[in-house]
Amino acid sequence: MSPKQRIEQQPSFVLHTYPWRETSLIAEIFSRDHGRVALVAKGARRPQSPLRGVLMAFQPLLVDWSGGGEVKTLVRAEWQGGQPLLGGRALLCGYYLNELLVRLSAREDAHPVLFAAYADALREFARGDALAPVLRRFELALLNELGYGAGLDVEADSGEAVRPAQDYLYIIERGPLPLATHAAADAEQPVISGRSLLAMAAGDFSAAETLAQSKTLLRAIINHYLGGQPLQSRRVLKELQEL
Amino acid sequence: MSPSALDELIDALRCLPGVGPKSAQRMAYHLLQRDQRGAGRLARAMGQALEVLRHCERCNNFAETDVCVRCADPQRDATQLCVVEMPADLAMMEQTHAYRGLYYVLMGRLSPLDGIGPRELRLDKLIARAGDGLVREVILATNFTNEGEATAHTIAELLGARGLQVSRLSRGVPVGGELEHTDTGTIAQALVERRTL
Repeated sequence: MSPKQRIEQQPSFVLHTYPWRETSLIAEIFSRDHGRVALVAKGARRPQSPLRGVLMAFQPLLVDWSGGGEVKTLVRAEWQGGQPLLGGRALLCGYYLNELLVRLSAREDAHPVLFAAYADALREFARGDALAPVLRRFELALLNELGYGAGLDVEADSGEAVRPAQDYLYIIERGPLPLATHAAADAEQPVISGRSLLAMAAGDFSAAETLAQSKTLLRAIINHYLGGQPLQSRRVLKELQEL
Repeated sequence: MSPSALDELIDALRCLPGVGPKSAQRMAYHLLQRDQRGAGRLARAMGQALEVLRHCERCNNFAETDVCVRCADPQRDATQLCVVEMPADLAMMEQTHAYRGLYYVLMGRLSPLDGIGPRELRLDKLIARAGDGLVREVILATNFTNEGEATAHTIAELLGARGLQVSRLSRGVPVGGELEHTDTGTIAQALVERRTL
């Protein structure tokens, strides 16, 4: 049990809500200074509850809560505004970000840098930016912030700088190894060009090659840390393409 | 009545949403002690509903026949199909007296984080229904929550790709609403979605 606390005006986003008892909700939120926190929103499912339109995912909120257990009590949630609701494909991508945070971040681990990256990604989604670069930048920020990030611009064994003209085999938890000296790639060990690695390290996703290769690489790393449990949001997108 | 039958009843009542062990026990004692006639009626109604009710082949709502009365009504406009999440939403649309077309009830909404995707919602059934050759316009009346929006977007993509005209209920300040008393989120969104006069 963490000590009893009272938090006020904490910048937060709702990641997911689920019904609790007759009229309440449990909201899983991502806050700037306290990371992922579960809050009980009492009466939030009553038809007249002022919280109904407020506890929505993807919207910047200021949240007050209190309590000391694993699940705290929501005291107040205020819509901060300034951001249109997500729509279309961006909305489905938003669910993907939320699922990553729910699945990979630990409760009450503060990640202010990741919080900023998440807020940026949502702002870019809402603005109508191309989705893929936003997704890749967030995935990278997530892995780095949660301590899963292996080096992108340094070779795994030699410690030498990655060369743009060289192709690399990416070994999860070790880093890139020059391809010539190693066996063929598989899903767990994708091949990626030095150029793409350096571009990713610099956060530059403007080249088509970088976009395609970073998608494969980041997916392999994320799948590794998810431990074989597939992401629901990814399955939904896949099923949609099949219909 | 043996205690095991009582336990079974209490346990069975717990399948109702929001009913925990305490409420279930209270309900069971009430039905058995104070309202045996009501209990009998409940048991019969439950049995009958389970036996006769099924999903209408066309609108997916609960019906006693393969095709429900509303879908079989020749007075209704078969060129319009309104998609709603739940039967309660259909009832609300009907109360407007502003719609004469037909319906499709999803019996849920897309919710990726809860594992409810196109397969769980049986969107293939909706695609088949909307592609009957008569439907010209599909009106999406799912809720204005993130899940409702995601559902609407998904259906719009699927049906739009099949050449159907898809529209969405519009969103904004309520009828008779005063800005002063409307929540800021609604006003902000109404501003984003403003229209030219």
